[in-house]
Amino acid sequence: MNFWFAVFRQAGRNLRQTWTSQFMTFLTVSLSVLIFAFFYLIYTNMIGAGDRLSDDLRLIVYLEDDPGPEMQEQLRRKINNFDKTESIQFISKSDAYERFAEQLGEDSDVLTDMPRDFLPASIEVVPLKSLRGYNQIKLFSEYLATLPGSEKVQYGQEWVERFYYFTRLITIVVLLSGTLLILTATFMVAYTIRLTIMGRHEELELLKLVGATNNYIRTPFLLEGTLQGLMGSIIGLSALYILFQWISLHFTGPGLINLFHFTFFPPMVIVSIILGSIGLCTIGSFTSIQKFLKI
Amino acid sequence: MPKIVQNQDPIETKDIPGNTMIEMIKVSRTYAPDIKALSDISFTVDTGELFFLIGRSGAGKTTLLKLICNMDTPSKGLIEVAGHNINNLKGKKLAHLRQKIGVAYQDFKLLSDRTVAENIAISMEVSYKKPRAIRQRVRDLLEQLQLTDKHDALTGDLSRGEQQRIALARSVANSPRLILVDEPTGNLDAATTERVMDLLTRCNKAGATIVIATHDASIYQKGNHRVMELRNGKIHSLSRNSR
Repeated sequence: MNFWFAVFRQAGRNLRQTWTSQFMTFLTVSLSVLIFAFFYLIYTNMIGAGDRLSDDLRLIVYLEDDPGPEMQEQLRRKINNFDKTESIQFISKSDAYERFAEQLGEDSDVLTDMPRDFLPASIEVVPLKSLRGYNQIKLFSEYLATLPGSEKVQYGQEWVERFYYFTRLITIVVLLSGTLLILTATFMVAYTIRLTIMGRHEELELLKLVGATNNYIRTPFLLEGTLQGLMGSIIGLSALYILFQWISLHFTGPGLINLFHFTFFPPMVIVSIILGSIGLCTIGSFTSIQKFLKI
Repeated sequence: MPKIVQNQDPIETKDIPGNTMIEMIKVSRTYAPDIKALSDISFTVDTGELFFLIGRSGAGKTTLLKLICNMDTPSKGLIEVAGHNINNLKGKKLAHLRQKIGVAYQDFKLLSDRTVAENIAISMEVSYKKPRAIRQRVRDLLEQLQLTDKHDALTGDLSRGEQQRIALARSVANSPRLILVDEPTGNLDAATTERVMDLLTRCNKAGATIVIATHDASIYQKGNHRVMELRNGKIHSLSRNSR
C-alpha cells in the first residue's frame, strides 16, 4: 500500500462519515463562486463596453468663426501642448453644412432655404486611447473651452459621466462581494474541516500514537479542501453559464444586452476562478489542520 | 574512507540482543499543582527482554509507559529508546519510531465505530503495508486470540475482555520491536490470560522487547525475567524472577 492509496482511502472515509457538513460546505462554495462570478461577469462586460464606447469618443469644440490656416496651426499647437491626440480635424461652416446635408440624405431639401454658414465651425479632437480616463477627458474639455474663439465643448458629458460612475459602482460591488465571498468560502471550508477534526479527534490522536506521519494525517484533509474548491467552483460556474445562456435566449433583440455584446468568461478566466477557489479552500483546510493537530 | 550513512530508522540502529532498548536516568514526572507521579526513576531494559512493571493502582506504571512511548514528557531526566533521546525526536523520525513501538493502552483506545479488523489494521496501514498482508495478519491474530468470528463486528459492541484482546492484537500487528502493554489481563479469565501471554511470549521469542505493566501476580511470577515494583512513583524493588 502506498502513501496516495492510504490518503485517498482516508479522504473517502472522511467524506462518507461527514457527508452532511461536506455537502453544506460544497453548496456554500458553489454559491460564493456563483455570486462572485456573476458580478465579475457584469464588471468585465461593462469594461468591454466602456472600451468599445471610448473608441468613438471625440471632443467637439464649437468655434465662433472659421479659423484661418495660421490660427488653425496655432490652435492645433495649443491643443497638443495640453494633451497628446490621435487626431485634430477642423470643420469649417460649409463642411458642417455638407456633412449635415449628407446625414439628412433624402430630406436634405429642408436645407435649401438655409444659408450655407448657419452651422458653426468646429474642431473634432480625438484623444489618445491611453488618455481616456473620465477625469482626463473632463480636464481636457475644460481646457478646450478656454481656447480663444471657443464657444462650447461637447463629448456626451452626461452619458460618459453616468457610465463612469456606474462602472465605478460595479467595481466596488465586485471587490466587496469578492472579498466577502472569498472569506465566507474559506471560513466555511476551514470550519467544516475543523468540525471533522473535532469529530475524529480520537482517531487522529491514535494515528499519531501508532506512528502516522504528519503528511499521512494532514493530506486527506487538504484533499477534501481541494475537492470542495474544485467541485464548488465548477458547479458555481456551470450555474452561471446556464443563467447566462437563459438570459441570452430570453433577452435577445434591441436591448441592453445587445448594446453591450454580453459575452461569457474566456477559458483563462474560468481556469483562474477554479484555481483560485481550489487554492482558497486548500488554505482553509490547511489552517484548520495546523491549528488543531499541532503536529 | 568509510562512507557515513545517516540512519533513517532510529530504532533499528542498536536493535541487537544484549544492547539497551530502554534507558531511563533520574526520570521524574510531576503534574500540576504538585503531584509527583514519578520520582528519580533509573533503570534499563535490554533488547529482546521481557520486563515486568508491577505495583498497585496509582503507583506510576501507566505514566512510565506513557513516557517511554512519548505520549507524555518527563519533568526531569533522560529517556532513551534504542539509543535515541525520545524527547528530542520530532516529525518523521518520531513517527517512524512509533511505528516500531506497539502499545496496548489500559483504556484500549479503540475506534468504536470501526470494525475489529479495521482497528487492528490501522497500525499496519500507517506503515504502508500491502492490503493483502494486512488482511492475512489480521486473520492470524484474530485466530490466535480466538476472535475470528468478531472480524467484522464493531468494537463498540464487544465486551471489555474482547476489546482488551483487540487492543493487544493492534499493538503487535505491525511486528514492532518494542511492545508496551498496560494491564493486558485485567478483564480476562484464566484461559484467555494464558492465550494472551502465549501471544506476547511468541513476540518476545521473535525478538521483540516487551514491557508489561500489571498487578496480576499469576503472569509475572512464572519464568525467568526481571520485575520492577513501583510504589508511590518510586522504584521499590528491581529483581530477577527465578521461578
